[in-house]
Amino acid sequence: MSWKTRRLRGHEGAAAMAFLLPNFLGFLVFTIGPVFFSLVASFSNWNLQRTIPFQWIGLENYAKLFHDPDFWLYFVNTGYLMLGLPVAIGGSLVLALLLNRDLRGIVAYRTLFYLPTFTSGVALLILWKALYNPDFGPVNVVINWFLDSLGVNRLVAILTGRELSAPQWLLSTRNLLGIGVEQVRIVAKQWGLGARDAIIIMGIWVAIGGNNMLLYLAGLSNIPQELLEAAQIDGAGRWATFRHVTWPQLAPTTFFIVVMSFIGGLQGGFEQARVMTGGGPAGTTTTLTYYIYTKAFEEFDIGYSCSIAWVLFIIIFVVTLINWKFGSRELNY
Amino acid sequence: MSMKGVFLGVFLCLVLLTFVAWRLRPAPAPPGKIPLTWVSDDNPARREQIALFNRLHPDYLLRLDPGNTGMEKVIVQSLAGVGPDLFDCYDGYQLSAYVRSGIAWDVTDALKKAGIDVTRDVWPAVFPNILHEGRVYGFPTNVAVNAIWFNKDIFDAAGIPYPTGTMTWQQFLPLAQKLTVRDKNGRAKRFGLLADWWNWKQFVLQWGGRMFTPDGTKCIIDSPEAIAGVQFFHDLIYRYRVMPSPVEEAAMATTGGWGSGAIHFFGGGKGAMALGGRWWLCTLRNVEGLRLGAFACPFGPKKVYRGYGRATLINAKSSRREAAVKFLLYEAGKPYNDLINHQADALAPVKKYCYTEEYLHDPAFPDEDFNAVWRDVMNYGLPDEVSPFVNGNRATRILNKQLDLVKNDQKSASAALHTAARQINEAIRDMLKQDPTLRMQYAKLTGRSGP
Repeated sequence: MSWKTRRLRGHEGAAAMAFLLPNFLGFLVFTIGPVFFSLVASFSNWNLQRTIPFQWIGLENYAKLFHDPDFWLYFVNTGYLMLGLPVAIGGSLVLALLLNRDLRGIVAYRTLFYLPTFTSGVALLILWKALYNPDFGPVNVVINWFLDSLGVNRLVAILTGRELSAPQWLLSTRNLLGIGVEQVRIVAKQWGLGARDAIIIMGIWVAIGGNNMLLYLAGLSNIPQELLEAAQIDGAGRWATFRHVTWPQLAPTTFFIVVMSFIGGLQGGFEQARVMTGGGPAGTTTTLTYYIYTKAFEEFDIGYSCSIAWVLFIIIFVVTLINWKFGSRELNY
Repeated sequence: MSMKGVFLGVFLCLVLLTFVAWRLRPAPAPPGKIPLTWVSDDNPARREQIALFNRLHPDYLLRLDPGNTGMEKVIVQSLAGVGPDLFDCYDGYQLSAYVRSGIAWDVTDALKKAGIDVTRDVWPAVFPNILHEGRVYGFPTNVAVNAIWFNKDIFDAAGIPYPTGTMTWQQFLPLAQKLTVRDKNGRAKRFGLLADWWNWKQFVLQWGGRMFTPDGTKCIIDSPEAIAGVQFFHDLIYRYRVMPSPVEEAAMATTGGWGSGAIHFFGGGKGAMALGGRWWLCTLRNVEGLRLGAFACPFGPKKVYRGYGRATLINAKSSRREAAVKFLLYEAGKPYNDLINHQADALAPVKKYCYTEEYLHDPAFPDEDFNAVWRDVMNYGLPDEVSPFVNGNRATRILNKQLDLVKNDQKSASAALHTAARQINEAIRDMLKQDPTLRMQYAKLTGRSGP
């Protein structure tokens, strides 16, 4: 390499560093620094109330966490809200397949479906809160019409002696699995549709046309045309082409989406709790991230909230490893 | 374009944006003026109160910062050195948190020097907002107690004479039932009574219940009296059906465009009577054609009412804390107290300014002939009880969770309050474990190490 080339490369390197430096410094000061600071804080009893003297307490916060019934309830809430992930991912794939066709106005369709993703989250949450109004919200208006006008309720009444009623949505502690309000156990009385299910349905609506759909669209456009043509020549139908060509070719995209969705799901629920439910009714929509916020900024127990954050990180890390171990097997086609 | 050009362009853009941000920042106080920032909610009343202060004290420039309200923000920002000079405190729990965080500045001596004795001058209902372990940390902004508002037109249409004087809840019930109107499907068209659920505290007090033992060492919200109070409030919704259930409330919030909360439902004509404070007038005065009356809230086995209010505290970390005392002195003065009464931002904090002809009959609002009700009831106002041995937010979270279940008719008052008391006492134990000062104080009071 000539001296001139080396000098040019040196200049380019310096320019690249200059571009990267502000971002890197920001990352160091505002991300890496606080992350390690929170790890250190999790081994202390740091409380913003100064009458509690600062002490290093080792693993005490972590030990306390495992005996904290609220932590487990909110962990279950977090997991419950993730039940919608398979539907959201599947829905994104179906939508991407539909929007991958050469239709007139396809860009407008894609934009429309992507709209919820770039609309203000708070505005969406308030809109859904109104939709879920138990008495006059459009959701229950349709359900009540279905139950009453189509005679479903009459039939159910004849068969069971009881009538069905529309769910109370955000006001109800019920859920599809019948999980209890104060303890992690199945309670028959809790079976039904409630606040948690309402949040799942809303999440699916937002996610179907969101980034996952875009990733699938990108993945679909990367499938070599010759593979599809070869399948066509061999007489494969639409389903066989999808099953044996499209789906395997989309495996890396699906893998990425699954991993990211799990991470997002475990970190999720904060906005919904803050805007729609306040974590209620009776704590049923409080997730781990909202619990971290409550502990740190309402109860000022910073040390304990840091320990919850790190346990959440470990959970996310382990889940991602499991995803990686089992999911990446499917990538070797 | 070369790499250098791009880099320079980006850099210049950032400089330009910095310049724009710098230009957009609030103008500094003019020379010779002392700037003060007050974190409080923004409303026309508050702006008028600030304008009056600035007019009376031309050497000060008081500004409102409505974007940083909330205890957690105030504490975190103040500890980081970027907090306001003045901020609001809504109850004893908050005061305890502010004091324990080192944010609330002790103004005992400053007020004494100005001849102000808060225990003599202000309504006792707001003592917990300003007094902590015998020291004074602020001055009340306003005080409130709830009475019953009624819609005169609804009473006239029903041919029912306006209620006067005091009555028990049992005497009140037939009236509320008579004024509740439902259609043939049982759906309420109008309720006899509207009340926000947080009023459960008043029912506990009226039935003789308490939140804590007098020394604050144990939560006793599961006493039979407290349970009976909450049960009665629950029964107003589910047994007597004179108040809306959460579902009915949600329905009203969507259909009528009245916003949420009893005050808006009442303004929208969805209730004949409502349990609320004088501060409701700030909103109700804007409802065209609403003819209002008021009478003292019914009572239970005990004739007491829940008093509440707001206080202004000074940030101990503020470099202008000495200057900020001027605002507390303004809150203790006649111009401010008269303004509060005139605005109907609840009641003036200083008692003597509520015993004036101007308060009783404000010439600007000749129809408001009910001002004596609030003042007279205020004398029975009891403050919320707090315990120094538990984090207020934690206790509130526990209570809210249990009372959510009662409100939604999913748990009995008895079971919910027993759970709440057990969990709050566990929280006390937790707190004692962490805080040696509290541990000593607790042991001194009880001779025990925990509740």
